[in-house]
Amino acid sequence: MASHAKVAQQLARHLFKMSVVDGAVSADRVGGVLEYLEKNSPRNPVMVLKAYQRLVAAEVAKGVALVEHAGAINDAMLASIAAAMTAKYCRPVTAAAKENPALLAGIRVHVGDDVYESSVEGQLAALASAV
Amino acid sequence: MSTALEQIEQEIAKLSSKAVKKNTGNIRTVADGVAKIDGLSDVMYNEMVQFPGGAIGIALNLEEDEVGCVVLGDISQLKEGDEVTTTGKLLSVPVGRELLGRTVDALGKPVDGKGPIESKETYPVEKIAPGIIVRKSVSQPLFTGIMAIDSMIPIGRGQRELIIGDRGTGKTTITIDTIINQAKINKVGLASGDKAFRPVYSIYVAVGQKQSNIVRTISALEAAGALEFTIIVAAPAADNPANQYLAPYSGAAMGEWFMENGMDALIVYDDLSKHAVAYRQISLILKRPSGREAYPGDVFYLHSRLLERAARLDGKGSLTALPIIETLAGDVSAYIPTNVISITDGQIFLETDLFNQGIRPAVSVGLSVSRVGSAAQIKATKQVGGKLKGELAQFRELAAFAQFGSDLDAKTKAQLDRGGRIVELFKQPAFAPLPIELQVAVLFAMQNGFFESVDIKKTVDAATSLKTFFTTRKDALLAEVRTKAALDKDLEAKLKAACDEWKPTFTA
Repeated sequence: MASHAKVAQQLARHLFKMSVVDGAVSADRVGGVLEYLEKNSPRNPVMVLKAYQRLVAAEVAKGVALVEHAGAINDAMLASIAAAMTAKYCRPVTAAAKENPALLAGIRVHVGDDVYESSVEGQLAALASAV
Repeated sequence: MSTALEQIEQEIAKLSSKAVKKNTGNIRTVADGVAKIDGLSDVMYNEMVQFPGGAIGIALNLEEDEVGCVVLGDISQLKEGDEVTTTGKLLSVPVGRELLGRTVDALGKPVDGKGPIESKETYPVEKIAPGIIVRKSVSQPLFTGIMAIDSMIPIGRGQRELIIGDRGTGKTTITIDTIINQAKINKVGLASGDKAFRPVYSIYVAVGQKQSNIVRTISALEAAGALEFTIIVAAPAADNPANQYLAPYSGAAMGEWFMENGMDALIVYDDLSKHAVAYRQISLILKRPSGREAYPGDVFYLHSRLLERAARLDGKGSLTALPIIETLAGDVSAYIPTNVISITDGQIFLETDLFNQGIRPAVSVGLSVSRVGSAAQIKATKQVGGKLKGELAQFRELAAFAQFGSDLDAKTKAQLDRGGRIVELFKQPAFAPLPIELQVAVLFAMQNGFFESVDIKKTVDAATSLKTFFTTRKDALLAEVRTKAALDKDLEAKLKAACDEWKPTFTA
């Protein structure tokens, strides 16, 4: 079982590398990979596809700044966040807004694994852990 | 003025609204105290990570697209998808005098119900051992209070002396005796007001032991008044393997604080066999390649980096390590025992046969050795016990031959007789360490033939009587031996006179 998972992971990684063009995931390439897998089914297709999905999702998340906000947020602010993140990560980053009333106030920006916390909820949580 | 205040307010507002960057990941699987995490792309090796619910973990496996973490704490609340964040910190434990007399877990949190520990400093659990330049050779003694060890296998401050033997041979007892002896010496030394006196603080690390055994050890130390100079780090068998793996390093960090601050400390790792087993468990769950006896390839480094942290530092203090290894059927050539034997500066081997014969402590003189300790032995002990190891080895050889023949010449008989007496003399009850001056007095009496007229079976009684005589009636003479630490002609004459005075008082 463990070796099956390892083989599936390796194949998924290989397919993922083929899906990246100029440092970004290409929708065409992904389509091509899926077509290929449909025709030539690997040993554990679900395992391979899940691993492939995880890798693609992680890569896609690196190019999107998900902005969680409690109050109103305008397009200008989203554009400025996108510009700042593009400059910081040296790759094109787009911004997407997502309302989250649990933040109370402020924003929280997710770019891949990184989280920029500037919300009241985050500050309260930091305070609670420090006390 | 108001402009200045506004400026400050603006600065505060700027700071308080500054975004905090965190690196996060999500739990993919949790099993047996190990979590596999997606993400955490910025995590460093050995970095502390924060799990939801307050549990923390250590990143041990950094792979291409996942991170393997050992979880320290309750894993029952963790589930797939939970967010994990990096902390940017290495795991640290509280250190300092505030820990003395306390029992803590592998993370330095109190488990004795005596309230919080008000420690001011923390030290990282993993630290590179002191280098070559800062070290100093071992030259100061660390008395165990066990006559067989102090006279034949002496231990110095900063040494690493392994205690090895099968289960139930008295390995822990030797270390507890040593801790109790340090406390006794500390009390005498501190009461004397001698500014040059350097107390030895002890750290006892219990790894994978039964809780009842740990309680018994604490009770023994408390009863002997040694707990006030001791820190207990407990990672019992019921603790998760990650805590058992970390506990010795936490103890070492606590000991290093004493060493770095110009004090002397003694650390007991009880025991490293169970520590290796806990590490093997973690490594197997992390899917690291296994080698001999299913231990991972870095099991040598696991112990070498721990024991190398024991040292005597130039211009600072020292950390003496007494690791314990449990053998199976006396097999010292197994994987973990040979590893630790090669790392340490000597070993005290305890034999089941000797233990069952009533020779306790069951130290095997032939297999035990101290590679650097003789430089630390005081002159008085060398004068009275310098030849003991050779004599005992000769006795064992002759005793083996004597089994086959009944006609022995007078010289051989005398040697056997003397050897038998030495063996009897070295018998010592548990938790009753002997002060070094009393050891010198007993060995002096033996070397000068004061026990020769006593029946071999009565040697223990005679030695007990001599010890009582010296402690009750020759206190000043014992103090002189202790302070001079060497026997000159005058002191020898006084000891001889005292033994002559004792001889008629003992009736077998």
